[in-house]
Amino acid sequence: MTKLEAIIQPSRFEAVKDALLEIGVEGMTVTEVRGHGRQKGHTEFYRGREYTVDVLPKVKLETVLPDRLVDAAIQAITNAARSGKIGDGKIFLSRIDDAIRIRNDERGETAL
Amino acid sequence: MSSQAADYTLRSFYQQESARLRGEFESSGSSEAAITGRTRVVDKLALDLWNQYVSPRVDSGLALVALGGFGRQALFPHSDIDLLFLTANEALAGRVKDPVRSVCQEMWDIGLRVSPTTRTLENCSRFDQDNVEFVISLLDSRFLAGDAGLFERLRGRNLPQLLTRECDALVQRLTEVTRTRHLRFGETIFHLEPNLKDGPGGLRDFQVSRWLAIITSVGNGGPWSDSPAYERNSETDDIRAALDFLAAARCHLHYRANRDENVIHWEAQEELAARGVASRTGAVSSAEWMRMYFRYARVVHRDTTRLLDQVPRNRSSLYRSFQHWRSRFSNEEFSVVDGNVFLQQAVGARDASVVLRLFTFIARHGLALSLETERRIQNARRGVTESMPQDSRLWEHLREILVLPHAAEALRAMHSLNLVTLGIPEFETIDSLVLRDLYHRYTVDEHTFLAIEVLHCLKDNDLEWLQPFGELMTELERPELLFLALLLHDTGKGLDGTDHVHNSLQLAAAAIDRMGLPAEDAQTVCFLIASHLEMSSTMRRRDIYDPETVRELANKLGTTERLKMLTLLTLADIKAVNPEALTPWKAENLWRLYTGTANYFTRSVDEERLHAEVCSEHLERIAALLPKRRSQLLKFLDGLPQRYLMSHSPEQVILHFEMANQLRSDPVQLGVRRVSGQNELTVVTEDRPGLFAALAGILYAWGMDITKASAFSNSAGVIVDSFYFRDRFRTLELNPPERERFNWSIVQILCREASLDSLLESRLKADTKPVKLKVETRLRYDNDASPGSTLLEVITQDRPGLLYTISSALASESCSIEVALIDTEGAVAHDVFYLTSGGMKLTREQQRSIEWALTTELSDSLPSSW
Repeated sequence: MTKLEAIIQPSRFEAVKDALLEIGVEGMTVTEVRGHGRQKGHTEFYRGREYTVDVLPKVKLETVLPDRLVDAAIQAITNAARSGKIGDGKIFLSRIDDAIRIRNDERGETAL
Repeated sequence: MSSQAADYTLRSFYQQESARLRGEFESSGSSEAAITGRTRVVDKLALDLWNQYVSPRVDSGLALVALGGFGRQALFPHSDIDLLFLTANEALAGRVKDPVRSVCQEMWDIGLRVSPTTRTLENCSRFDQDNVEFVISLLDSRFLAGDAGLFERLRGRNLPQLLTRECDALVQRLTEVTRTRHLRFGETIFHLEPNLKDGPGGLRDFQVSRWLAIITSVGNGGPWSDSPAYERNSETDDIRAALDFLAAARCHLHYRANRDENVIHWEAQEELAARGVASRTGAVSSAEWMRMYFRYARVVHRDTTRLLDQVPRNRSSLYRSFQHWRSRFSNEEFSVVDGNVFLQQAVGARDASVVLRLFTFIARHGLALSLETERRIQNARRGVTESMPQDSRLWEHLREILVLPHAAEALRAMHSLNLVTLGIPEFETIDSLVLRDLYHRYTVDEHTFLAIEVLHCLKDNDLEWLQPFGELMTELERPELLFLALLLHDTGKGLDGTDHVHNSLQLAAAAIDRMGLPAEDAQTVCFLIASHLEMSSTMRRRDIYDPETVRELANKLGTTERLKMLTLLTLADIKAVNPEALTPWKAENLWRLYTGTANYFTRSVDEERLHAEVCSEHLERIAALLPKRRSQLLKFLDGLPQRYLMSHSPEQVILHFEMANQLRSDPVQLGVRRVSGQNELTVVTEDRPGLFAALAGILYAWGMDITKASAFSNSAGVIVDSFYFRDRFRTLELNPPERERFNWSIVQILCREASLDSLLESRLKADTKPVKLKVETRLRYDNDASPGSTLLEVITQDRPGLLYTISSALASESCSIEVALIDTEGAVAHDVFYLTSGGMKLTREQQRSIEWALTTELSDSLPSSW
């Protein structure tokens, strides 16, 4: 099993969610986050006041997948989240040893 | 009989009796029979087990006492069994451990969820601040078996002494615990899936009323009564009916879930409605059943809230002083006693205009409607119905209520008396309406009131991330239009169909039409309702930092005022979904979208100009008003910024066009009108150097305080300048002949037939008092915002003659003002000028020269280097 974490633009979340559902990924955890990578941020003015926008709003999406779905999930996310501009986000993958469904103690991929 | 056989018999007995009671409930619907029946069954079981395990070993100094619901003889089908083993002393408590454990173990084996406690009489006489629940449970104590004398000492002596001694502390703690519980439920009964036991308006609230009454009565040496609160309300059928309803529903929930389930989930709502549980009319729709629920829950909630509100009054001198101070609000129509409003004349309850004034009074002062007044209005329903206006008279009252700080409380009070739906029948579609939605927590009507409350609370909110929105709220020119849009924005949810926005718009349009709002106001309200999901949707689906996203949104909104209103509406709409719905993250995104769009409005003015050969949809709509003079109209509009069209109605554009057509015979065209409590001066004339400064100077000389202004010019050099101003000395209002002189002085000065300097002389002499500067002056240039002009943004403290000072300084530096956008928010003036010099953008040297001139004029210090 693989844990997939994707940091994406908020505006792309719905498209990414739909793309993942389409390939059979049904469960995910979504968090509103802020951050920056190469996108850094910028300075804005409003009514003469200066605002430095150094961390930008993003959405973090986490899901644990059977290994056979990982490539398809990566493809689905990149297709849906890519605008080609800096700030589109990143995907991180990590190995997962086990999963347990709290309700009935099912383990492994059946618990996903 | 062996112990095991006896247990089996008792378990069978309990199961058979439970099945019988359930069968009877399902056929009769009587919760009374079910809960008293179960009490009798458990009484018998407890006695049998007592006789089996305890009696043979202990003959005195120990009593078996029922507490809580068991003590009240009101055991719901799966309620816990609260038992007290009351002992005379600690030594005995130690000796009876085994038999007590046996009784409890057997009860668990039978299938009863027992919560036992063993306490000495002395223990029961102590008050533990951290365990107020135990003392409260003793209020419902009932003797079951054992040492009756011991129980009598508890009930007849120790407990009354405890209540007398700790009356204040007990009442305070019970009040705190109840308020904390209410807070957990957002202090509203209107949940989509309410908890009918612990939620506001639930059965626990009724018990709180009872307990408060018992504590007060016994604690003050009065008689012990099993149910004083119930007797207190026995003259009204409302509470009794509410209790019957809630009890029947709770029985059904317990039987349905086979456990102590008290939340009316959606599936349960369907079932309760289909079976007609507690419904006098049998099966009903789930929406109708929930309406009944909310009606009854409200009766209980109101009773409890009223009692809770009285608690500090009895205890705190500060609160008493506050309430006494509030009684000063009393006037010839309404009196205020202990924070409750009463009608001075009972007959007023029949007159809708008096009733509407009453709710305006409540909205202004945040008072509660007294029970007596509420009943009077209910009893005078016919008269109120007949006299309730639905036309512009209603809007006059409603607009006043909506902008007052306690509008939401007043609207809730009105709605509970069906007065909102009486005035606006369209609101009935969402009366106590439960919509199944994973995010929404409240009924649609409560969501609406909550959204209005959110905006009113913004001004006093402590959260840093909400403060910019609070400031925005104070900047609105017509907040009543935003509040009206909020009141009606979800009415369409009560109609069939998937597009609630469209439905809401239809309903709102009918209500607005009936209330006779001016066309411009009606358009604004309808626009807000039609667009109420626009900013949420943009935040969710679009990149809010993308200039194209901002440009599209700005084009849809048209004006900064609409942007402000829609931003606030969006914020309130999200926050009123549930307490966690508006996160700082979402608020930040909304604010970014707002500032991006507001900046776009300011910085794009010069960029997007109208061209006669490229007709937009908006332009076509205006041209359609004058089909025979289309080409002349387009010629007039050619070269004016898009912003001009966005900030003026088609009727105003046509008026300006007509004024421009008069210029050959009369070179200065003026229009003065009253708008939203201010004056608007429109000037259409040929452009010339220093014109804007001259107009600002004339207004200043007349003592007018300019709050907003805009200056536009077309490609033929005709300017359309608008000034909104307050008449500081009410010159025009109090002296009608002065209006003519005012207009004449503008014409004369613009035609160079009179001198501005001589007009200004007396004003400058009068305004010699130096201004205490609290707002730092800031200047900023942007040479990239416009293809042909340099943008200058000036933020400074507002003061008399400010615009004249700035525009004169610009004129003296040989600058032409291509476009001016002047705004004032409180003490802060925010002015934007698009400047050229000799038809070109300003050079760096010219910018420095202007900066020096302006900072010298506006500040008593050198400019900051921002």
